[in-house]
Amino acid sequence: MSAPVSETATAALQEPDQPPAQRGGKTPWWANQRIGLLVLVVLLATLFGVLRPAFFNQQLVVFPLLRDIAMFTVVGLAQLCVLSIGHMNLAVGRMAAFSMMITGISYDLWHFSLYAGLLVGLIAGAAIGALAGWVIARTGVNSFVVTLALDFLLLGLIPLVYTGLTDNAAFVTKPDGMREMRNYSLADICIGNVCGSPAVPQLALFAVIAMVVVGWIYSRTKLGRELLMTGTSVKAAELSGIPTARRVITAHAMSGCLAALAGFMLAVSTGSIKATIGEEFMLPSFLGPILGGTLLAGGFISVWGTLLGTALTSVIRKGLDLLGVGLESLNIYLGLILLVALSTDRIRTVLSERQEVRQR
Amino acid sequence: MRRFVKTTEMTLLVICVVFFVFLVIASGGDLVGANSLKVLLQFLAVPILIGLAQMVVLAVGQLNLAVGAVGGFAAVAMGVMMADHGVPVPLALLIGFVLASLAGLANGLLVVLTRINGFIVTLATMTVLLGVQYRLVGTRTVDAYPQGLKSFGSYAVFGVLPLIFLVALLVAGLLSVMLRRTVPGRQLLASGGNPIAARLSGISNDRSVVLAHTLSGAILGVAAILTVASSPGVNKSIGGDWLLPSFAAPIIGGALLTGGSAVVLGTVLAAFIVRFVDTARAEFSLEPSWVNFVVGTVVLGSVVLGQVRTRRQSRRTVVKAPDAAVAGRVS
Amino acid sequence: MTLFVAERVDKLFPGVRALDGVTLALEAGSVHALLGENGAGKSTLIKVITGLYRPDGGKLLLDGSEVAFGSPHESAAAGIGVVHQERNLIPGFTVGENILLQKLPTSRGLVDRAAIRSEASRWLAELDLDIDPDQPVTELSVAQAQLVEIAKALSVESRVLLLDEPTASITPNEADRLFRVVDKLKNDGRAVLFVSHKLEEVFQICDTVTVLRDGSSVLESGALADLTRDQVVDLMVGRVHEALSLPPRTVDRSVDPLLELSGVSTATGHADIDLAVRPGEIVGLYGLVGAGRSELAKALLGLDRITAGEVRIRGRAVRIKNVRDALRNHKIGYVTENRKEEGVFLEQSVSRNIAVTIWDRLSKLLGYVPAKAESALVARYVEQLGIRIASPAQLAGTLSGGNQQKVSLAKWLAAQTEILIIDEPTVGIDVRTKDAFHTLIWDLAANGLAILLITSDLPEMITLADRVVVMRDHRVQGEVANDHDYDRMSQQVIRLIHAERAVA
Repeated sequence: MSAPVSETATAALQEPDQPPAQRGGKTPWWANQRIGLLVLVVLLATLFGVLRPAFFNQQLVVFPLLRDIAMFTVVGLAQLCVLSIGHMNLAVGRMAAFSMMITGISYDLWHFSLYAGLLVGLIAGAAIGALAGWVIARTGVNSFVVTLALDFLLLGLIPLVYTGLTDNAAFVTKPDGMREMRNYSLADICIGNVCGSPAVPQLALFAVIAMVVVGWIYSRTKLGRELLMTGTSVKAAELSGIPTARRVITAHAMSGCLAALAGFMLAVSTGSIKATIGEEFMLPSFLGPILGGTLLAGGFISVWGTLLGTALTSVIRKGLDLLGVGLESLNIYLGLILLVALSTDRIRTVLSERQEVRQR
Repeated sequence: MRRFVKTTEMTLLVICVVFFVFLVIASGGDLVGANSLKVLLQFLAVPILIGLAQMVVLAVGQLNLAVGAVGGFAAVAMGVMMADHGVPVPLALLIGFVLASLAGLANGLLVVLTRINGFIVTLATMTVLLGVQYRLVGTRTVDAYPQGLKSFGSYAVFGVLPLIFLVALLVAGLLSVMLRRTVPGRQLLASGGNPIAARLSGISNDRSVVLAHTLSGAILGVAAILTVASSPGVNKSIGGDWLLPSFAAPIIGGALLTGGSAVVLGTVLAAFIVRFVDTARAEFSLEPSWVNFVVGTVVLGSVVLGQVRTRRQSRRTVVKAPDAAVAGRVS
Repeated sequence: MTLFVAERVDKLFPGVRALDGVTLALEAGSVHALLGENGAGKSTLIKVITGLYRPDGGKLLLDGSEVAFGSPHESAAAGIGVVHQERNLIPGFTVGENILLQKLPTSRGLVDRAAIRSEASRWLAELDLDIDPDQPVTELSVAQAQLVEIAKALSVESRVLLLDEPTASITPNEADRLFRVVDKLKNDGRAVLFVSHKLEEVFQICDTVTVLRDGSSVLESGALADLTRDQVVDLMVGRVHEALSLPPRTVDRSVDPLLELSGVSTATGHADIDLAVRPGEIVGLYGLVGAGRSELAKALLGLDRITAGEVRIRGRAVRIKNVRDALRNHKIGYVTENRKEEGVFLEQSVSRNIAVTIWDRLSKLLGYVPAKAESALVARYVEQLGIRIASPAQLAGTLSGGNQQKVSLAKWLAAQTEILIIDEPTVGIDVRTKDAFHTLIWDLAANGLAILLITSDLPEMITLADRVVVMRDHRVQGEVANDHDYDRMSQQVIRLIHAERAVA
C-alpha cells in the first residue's frame, strides 16, 4: 500500500538480502542537505542581486517573492504530510480548488466573514483529504491512483459548480479585509514605534503558522511520531499497536487542509476565487519537500527543508525572470535543477557512506 | 491470469457494445451515419496511443508523468520544423518521432542510472520538456505546414475509417505482438511481473525498464505525428491534457500498477469507452466537465474492484508464507 | 564422480564472517543434504554457488576446473540449476514460458509457442508431471509451482541441482511426490543438493550430508547411513556449548491463568486449541515450520478471525480486535519472529523504536509527548536489556541482530505488558547473545509475566519452558512438562510431533 508504484522493477535491481545499509551515525556536514540548500539559496540571491540590483527592490520583487515562497511552502507541506506515510497526493491542487469553491460559496451565498470562510475552506479541504485517505485505507489501493482519480473527478465537478453558481466562472463577492490582506506587509503591524519590514507580506504569517504547527506535530506529538512510524513500516506499525488505517486518513486530511490554506493564500494574492486555483500546485508540491530531504518512501520529513527547497526554486524563478529569461522556459531550468539536485544528493549519500565504511 | 484478463477485456467489450447501441438509439440513429462515425473514430486515435504509452511503462512497474510533455514537445518540434524551417514533411515527422523516442530513452536511462524514483524523474523531464515546448513555439499557433499532411490527417477509408485511427490500431497491434510474441517483450513483462525471478533467469531488469520507457516515447512520437496531422495547428497547450487520460485507459483496461500485465486490447477498449462518454456528453449537450467527472469515478471504481479481485486471487493461489500454505490446505 | 566442489569458501559481510572456509562436494548420482540452523550460512553458501554473491576466499570447481560466476545466469549456463525458497515464477506467464524463460525458443524473430509447448512438455514428462504447459502459473497449487520450478531449473540442461527448502510450504503427500522426482534425478546421474530443516526427510532421501554451524562446516560430506539423528542434531546445535545455568523459578499452579484458550478455531485452520499460561510461567509452543504457531499468536491479537471457542484473559472472555486493543485493554505484547519487517523500524531511531508503544500513555494535551519523560523511559530499558548503542538517536537498522531483537522486546516491556508472546526470539543471533536473551526471558517470567514462547529451537525450548505444548498441522498434539533434561525431553517432544504420522 505504501510503496510508490514505480519502484517494483528498480527495487529488485539492488541486491536482495544484503545486510542493512549502514546508515546513521555521524554524517559529515557537507552531506547535510539543508545546509547545502541554505548556502545555495543565499549564493543565488546574492548573484541575482549583483547582476540585477532590482532583485532587492522590496515592494516589486522581495514582497511578491516572499508571498510566493510562503504559498508554495504551504503547498509543499500539504504534500509532505502524505509523503510522511509514504503516500502521494496528486490532487493537492484540485483539493485547493475544491476548498476555495466552498469558501467562495460561503462568501457569496451565506455572506460569511473572511476568516469564517477560510475556516469553512479548511474544513472542506480536510474532509476531501480524509475521503481520499479513507478510500486508500479501506481498499488498500495505491495512493497515487486514488488521488489521481480524485483529481479527475474534481476536475470535472468544480467547473460544473462554478457554471451553476456564477456568471464568469469566479465568485465575485469579496469579504471585507481580503484586499488589505493581499497588500499589507509587516510594516503595517507596529508594536509601539517598532514596525515590521515592508518587504514581508502579512500572508507569509499563514505559512509561518503552518510550519510551526506541522513542525510541532511531527517533532513533539504522538500523532506525528505515529505517522512517521507508519511511513517507515506499515506492518511493524500495525504490530506495535498504531492504528495505521486511521493514521492514513489523518495524513490525507492534513494534506487536504493545508492544500485549502494554500488555495486561500493564492485566492487572496490574486484577488479572485475561481475554478483554476491550484492548477500549478503539483510540481512545486513535490519540489519543495523532495529538494529539502523529505523521503518519497516515507518515514522522514523536513519542514525547514521544505521551506528551503521552495525558496530555492522561487528565487531561481524570480532571478531568471529578472534576467529576462522567458517565464515558461524557466521550467527547463527547474526540471534540470530537480534532476541535478537529486543526482548529486545520491552521489553525496554514496560518498558519505563510503567514508563511514572506511572509518570503521 | 490470462483467463482473468480475458474476462476483464470481455467485460469491457460488452460495455463498449452496449454503450454504442445506447448512443445510436439516443441519437436517433444519427451516430451510424458515415460522418458521425468518422468523427467518433477520428478523435480516438490519439487517446488510444497515449493510453498505450502509459500502459507499456506500467507493464514494467514504472510510470510516466511526461506523456503529455513528450508528445507536445514532439508535435511542436515537427510543426516548427515544417512551418518555419521548410523541412520536408517526412523528414520532419521522422525527426519528431526520433526526438520523442530519445526523450523516452532519456527517462529510462535516468531511472536506471540514478536509481531515483521514476515518478520524480518523469516529473522532472516533464517540466523540462514543457519548457522546451514553450521555447519552441511561444504563444503562437503553428499551422503553416503542407496541406498534404492535413489531408492525410482527415482522410478516411470508405469515408468512415479515418487513416489516423487505423495507424493507432496498427501501433496497438504491433505493441501487442511485441509484448506477447517477442523475446524483449516477454522479458519486459517478466521484469514487471516478478523482477527477482526475472533477474535470476538472466533477464536484465535495467534493460527492460529502459526499453519500456523508450517504447513509451516512440508511441508518443506516433501520437504526436497524428496530432500534427489531424489538428488545425500546434501550440504550447498540445499534450497539456494527456496525463489523466493516459492513466485512465490502462487502469480501466485492467493493467496492474505493480507491473507485469500487458493489456493492449483493454487499453484500446477503455479509450473507446472514454470516447463514448464524451460522445454521450455532446449528445445530451452537457458541460464538457462531466466527462472528467464520470471518467474519474469510473477509474476509482475499477481500481477498487480490481483490488478486490487481486486480493481474492492472491488468497486463492499466491502463497508466500510457508505456514499459510499448509493452512490453506487444511481449512 | 565429483561434479561440483566449493572449496574453503569465505564470505564476509561488514562485521560478520558469514562463511568461514566452507567446503562442499557434490557427487553425480547422489543427493547431498545441507543442514544447519537458521543463520548458519546455508543461504549465503547457495548464493555464492549461484553467483549472487562473490566469494571472498576459496574457489568453486565444476568438473574439476575452476569457475567464477558473475550472475545467476552464468551459473545456470554452466549447468547449475536452483530452486529458490521464494516463488520465482512470473505470474502472467504460462507454465511453459516460465520453464523456458532463460532461453525462450524463437522462430523468425517471434517467440515460438509450439516449440515452448513441446520442449516444456519434454521437461515436465521427464519429471513425470501431469501439468499442461499452456496453463497459467497462477492456477497452479504451491506444490505444483514448486515442481514447475524444478523443471525450470532442469531446462538449462543442469547436472547440478540445488533445492533450497523445497518442502517448507507443501504437505507430506506432495513432498512424497517431490521425493520421487528427486530420486529420478539422482538415478539419471545428476548431483542434487537438498537443503531442509526436516531431518526425517533428509534421512529419507539423502545420501551424504554437510552440516554448517556459525558459518563453518562442522561435518563435510558425511555418509548419512553412518549417522544417527541425534548425532546430526548435536552437530547442528553444537552440544559442546555449555548449558546455561539459570536460577530456580517456580510456578504457582494454584493461580488462575492470565491467558486461556479453550476450543479455539481460526479462519486459518486451527482447530480446537486449548492452552493456558499462568503468571510467572513460560509455556513453550513447539512444532515444525508450518504447524501454525505464529498464526495462532496472530489470531490471538485479532489479526485473524477466531471462528469458534473462547479466549479468556484474567478469567474474562474477550474478543481482541487488533494489536492496539490487545496492548491497551489487555496488556498483551507480541515480539514477532519477523524482526526486520514487523518488529523493528529499521530506518527510525532506537529511541522511537522503544517508545512507540508508550506515546499513548505519555501524551498530554493535544498529543504532546514530553521529550524528557520519553528519553528517561527509553534509557531505562536500554540499560535494563543491555542494548549496546552509541546514542538513542542511532538508527535501529545499524544495530546487530541481537540488539535489534532486544529493541523489539524493549517496546513491550516499556508498555508494561503482563502477557508476552515471544516468537522465535533468537533466530540468526549468535550463541552468546542467545544466552543473554534466555536469561532475560527467564527473569521476566520470574517477575510475574505470563510468557508464551514460540520457537523451533529445541534446546532453547528445553532451557526455558515450564511446559511444552506441541503443535502439528494447526492442532495441539499434546503437552510435555519440562524437567530440563535435554535427552529425555527432546525424545518425548519429537515422538509427540510424529505421533500422528506413525498412525497415518
